[in-house]
Amino acid sequence: MVVITAIFCIGAYLGYISGAGMEGTDGVVEDHAAEIGNREAVELIPTIGIYGDMGEYVGFTLAGVVSGLIIGYLWTGIFFGRREDA
Amino acid sequence: MHISDGILTPEWCILWYVIAIAFAAVGVWQIKERARENLSYMPMLALVGSAVFIISVWHIPVPVTGSCSHPIGTPMSAIIVGPFATVILTMISLFFQAFLAHGGITTIGANTISMGIVGTFSGYLVYVGCRRADAPIWLAAGLAGFIGDILCYVTTALELALSINPNAVMSHWAIYAMGYIPTQLPLAVAEFIFTAAIVNYIATARPDLLSKIASIKGGVSSGR
Repeated sequence: MVVITAIFCIGAYLGYISGAGMEGTDGVVEDHAAEIGNREAVELIPTIGIYGDMGEYVGFTLAGVVSGLIIGYLWTGIFFGRREDA
Repeated sequence: MHISDGILTPEWCILWYVIAIAFAAVGVWQIKERARENLSYMPMLALVGSAVFIISVWHIPVPVTGSCSHPIGTPMSAIIVGPFATVILTMISLFFQAFLAHGGITTIGANTISMGIVGTFSGYLVYVGCRRADAPIWLAAGLAGFIGDILCYVTTALELALSINPNAVMSHWAIYAMGYIPTQLPLAVAEFIFTAAIVNYIATARPDLLSKIASIKGGVSSGR
């Protein structure tokens, strides 16, 4: 897992120093399709996007913290419970 | 693979919702049954659900193409907690991701089809097929992750083509798929690695979890 994380970090750094936009393919393909079909993406619900970049940082951090707590809390019990019992 | 609100036509949104709900209904029934048999199933479901949520919203840069995308995590989930339960986890993840500006509310059905049904079941079937062919667990799980990831994006491309270009579905399917695939291929390799590593780890450290949840019997996953 350390190696995988290191690969992702190196990839992110290479992308950063290359100056590439690193736009998400979801958005790129969707925008292209919407343009062809004369359609437009709409926001039906309030999202963290309305708070700009800071909203994204805060939103993803909260999501990561909550999910991390769930994973961290359950990880030991599930994967090491038997060892502790023994 | 997160399609936003407003992109798909209403009739396609409804159709994808109906199909997704049919799978989800089986998922609810299956979760109830398994939770009754196995007390550790619900915590495991929560853990895997959190993992799917994070993995499928985690944009990873791919310097070669100058863009970024994300793995899906559902093939791994299908192997660990079962494919129908993974449909439920996907729908919950997509609901919350909509508030993170990933996907939308009207497209939860369509996004569930690509990530939670095609990505999940294709990966699961690959895993079962490989195990039947006596492939090692890491290879079976890795291939499940790779193929599930790619097919998820191919399905998203098809959903876009069906809704937006009904008169030229095949050509636009190819166009949209080619928009996804160059960035997605390296990420599918990453999906191969982490799916193989995680499933192999569980099979080594706590084989009883796999035997209870995606039981492996004589080299074959029972599919329960």
